Amino acid sequence: MGNTMLEAAQHQWHPIASSEELEYRHTFHGQLLGREFAVWRADDGNVNVWENRCLHRGVRLSIGINDGTELTCQYHGWRYANRTAGCTYIPAHPADSPARTICNRTYPAVERYGLVWSGEAPQGDPPGVALLDGTDVLSLRPIPVNADLETVHRQLTAYVFQPNEGLDGAKAAVSVETSGDLSIGLSSVSGDCKTQAVFFLQPVDSDRTVIRGVLAGMPAHKAQLDVLHHHNERLSALRERCEAEASQLPQPEKLQPVIQPVSEELAGMPEQSTSGRNADLRVKIARKWSTAEGIAGFELVSIDGQLPTFQPGAHIDVHLPNGLVRQYSVTNGPGETQSYKIGVKREPDSAGGSQCLHDDVREGDVLAISEPRNNFPLRRDAVKTLLIAGGIGVTPILSMAQALYHTGLDFELHYFAQDDSHLAFPDILETLGDSLHTHLGLDPEETEQCLEGLLADYQPAMHLYVCGPGPMLETTRHTADRLGWPDQAVHFEYFKNTHEIDDSTSFEIALSRSVMTLQVPAGTTIMDVLRDNGVSVPSSCEQGACGTCVATVLEGEPDHQDVYLSETEKKRGDRIMTCVSRSKSARLVLDI
Amino acid sequence: MIKLYDYELSGNCYKLRLLMNMLGVDYEAVPVDFYPGREHKSDWFLKINPLGQLPVLVDDGVVLRDAQAILVYLAAKYDPSGNWYPVDDPAKLGDISQWLAFADGITSTASAARLHEGLFYDFDIDACRAGAHRLFRILDEHLWFAEKQDRDWICPGAHPTIADIACFPYVILSEEGGISRQDYPAIRRWCDRVKRIQGFIVMSGVFPAGPAGGRLNALSAA
Repeated sequence: MGNTMLEAAQHQWHPIASSEELEYRHTFHGQLLGREFAVWRADDGNVNVWENRCLHRGVRLSIGINDGTELTCQYHGWRYANRTAGCTYIPAHPADSPARTICNRTYPAVERYGLVWSGEAPQGDPPGVALLDGTDVLSLRPIPVNADLETVHRQLTAYVFQPNEGLDGAKAAVSVETSGDLSIGLSSVSGDCKTQAVFFLQPVDSDRTVIRGVLAGMPAHKAQLDVLHHHNERLSALRERCEAEASQLPQPEKLQPVIQPVSEELAGMPEQSTSGRNADLRVKIARKWSTAEGIAGFELVSIDGQLPTFQPGAHIDVHLPNGLVRQYSVTNGPGETQSYKIGVKREPDSAGGSQCLHDDVREGDVLAISEPRNNFPLRRDAVKTLLIAGGIGVTPILSMAQALYHTGLDFELHYFAQDDSHLAFPDILETLGDSLHTHLGLDPEETEQCLEGLLADYQPAMHLYVCGPGPMLETTRHTADRLGWPDQAVHFEYFKNTHEIDDSTSFEIALSRSVMTLQVPAGTTIMDVLRDNGVSVPSSCEQGACGTCVATVLEGEPDHQDVYLSETEKKRGDRIMTCVSRSKSARLVLDI
Repeated sequence: MIKLYDYELSGNCYKLRLLMNMLGVDYEAVPVDFYPGREHKSDWFLKINPLGQLPVLVDDGVVLRDAQAILVYLAAKYDPSGNWYPVDDPAKLGDISQWLAFADGITSTASAARLHEGLFYDFDIDACRAGAHRLFRILDEHLWFAEKQDRDWICPGAHPTIADIACFPYVILSEEGGISRQDYPAIRRWCDRVKRIQGFIVMSGVFPAGPAGGRLNALSAA
């Protein structure tokens, strides 16, 4: 293939597979212009065309496991989400959430004429083919040929086949109806019978081409197999001729595709900003519904492209029309990457965040949100996982439960609520089968008794995740502690920090990497001082509950006032929430 | 108990471990140092198999060499359902036997290429690869048309047979001999199906498939 033609081919759409080859839970190994693809269909029907290498060690993802929502690399088990190709879990770091930058390269995919079309950087829509429009089509068996595109193209112009209804009839007259660089339309006439066919040429490499034939019109069911055999025989013979011819030619140099590890946007450092709460995404409310008594569900879809990958436990900041910023957990199951679904409970006593979402925000409205952050990551290496949710605290737990359920890991979800009508997202709950246990209408004492039963049998490598109202969280944590659960097996997320913040101290902070020494006076937070001095700090809830603004402590003794860190983590004293926590020592050295 | 003279990296030994696991048959493996020890050519082993080849199976006084022959024996003796090797169905037995011979062809091409690449055997590697590709084209075509007739396996019928087990190992290990299966998508799908048979086990170089299967691309009922 000449250079100009190669360049042109990079901007065109090419068939890379038959739709039917993307079998349920299968991963197809494709190639175009020297570039390999891992191609797989998720259970929601979406076709993924990805660079065929794991971002970790470069192993082919085409041997990976398609579980219907995610593709898992066979080598070290990295999981990548349907549609986004973002990494959702790394078994070697079970307690951490993978960075947003771990996102494989994706290519566009469109299905048309029974074929899957893709390309390196195709422009516009896949080409329409008049011969095939407005009719049923039959895909022939694809024929891979060890010959260059030109040779196959030339041989195909002389391809002779019988019309569907006249396989045994007199030798057909075949004429070329259309001819382009990458496809040939032929029509075969024998007596009264006529069949039209288009043969697409997929340039796999400089010396390999796949013939993907499509017949216009579907033969009767009984005749289909004969028609398929007919073309398979004729095309196989044509392949012999192509390969004999190509073997006489000098071996062309293999195409060398450029493999880009990740997009520049992801590889670069994030832009400096003085505001810690980024609201980079604009989403439209595609659906708003009442999912339980006093709880509204919102489905948010992107207005400009693909939403970033979320992981179970992740939350987003939602910027409300009344100026408030609130955090909501993503409730989605694995691979559900077309929208974010959140649940919002009406809180009559609140500052107006939930009321605004319940009363003022409507379907079709556009909101600014942050990308998902995960400070409540889910381990997948537990022998058993206990999920405990109280009320609206079920939202992050639902995402976790679906991920565990889908991968067949052992877990129980215990959902405490007032009564049946207060169970949020019943449509998700009913997919969880026997793993779901509801505990309805219990008072605090009964709740504690119930928790004692649930937490009685701690075994090593069990993990507990709990989210709910503050008092319930405290009870769960204390009960778990009393029953021998180690701190690091108990994971929790508070809605908010209800502790009264003591900001009466003043102290000095030294920033080791920025080489700055700053004073934090009483009444001002570390975060404020940092931002006033031009140091960027990411943040989300800004009240010590979510963990986003964490900084590493190198020296000094932190005065923890957050509800994010566990007691063990607080004692260790090597991390601090800069939005609320302060210093017991006169000086804190931070790794900033 | 059944005794299997075994080499961990041998695809022909693997196919016996595979079938015995699928049938739930217990056995004792006797490791033979095929490489680098060449123990299969040692005096003691040549007394068991004068051909100096693995595997060998000993069961109840019966001593058998040749992987395909042993598959026949195991299925006939230990599969009461008769699915793996239906002794009462001559047409099917003939069909299975022809694919067992085909599996020998895969051994002499794809397995030979793997021995050349991995264990330094002196073979004509280009001829091995070309031979394997010729067989893979035939198998891929066969399986593609089987799918069109709503069939999952090499031989007709709802259940896999020992023909599938005989052909599978050196197909799935072909990359180790530098033989890509990219051009054989129907073979790749069939490999997924074999991996989903109850009792499937792996060996080095063979990765498991995820759960669930089911083919969606039989002929459309037009």
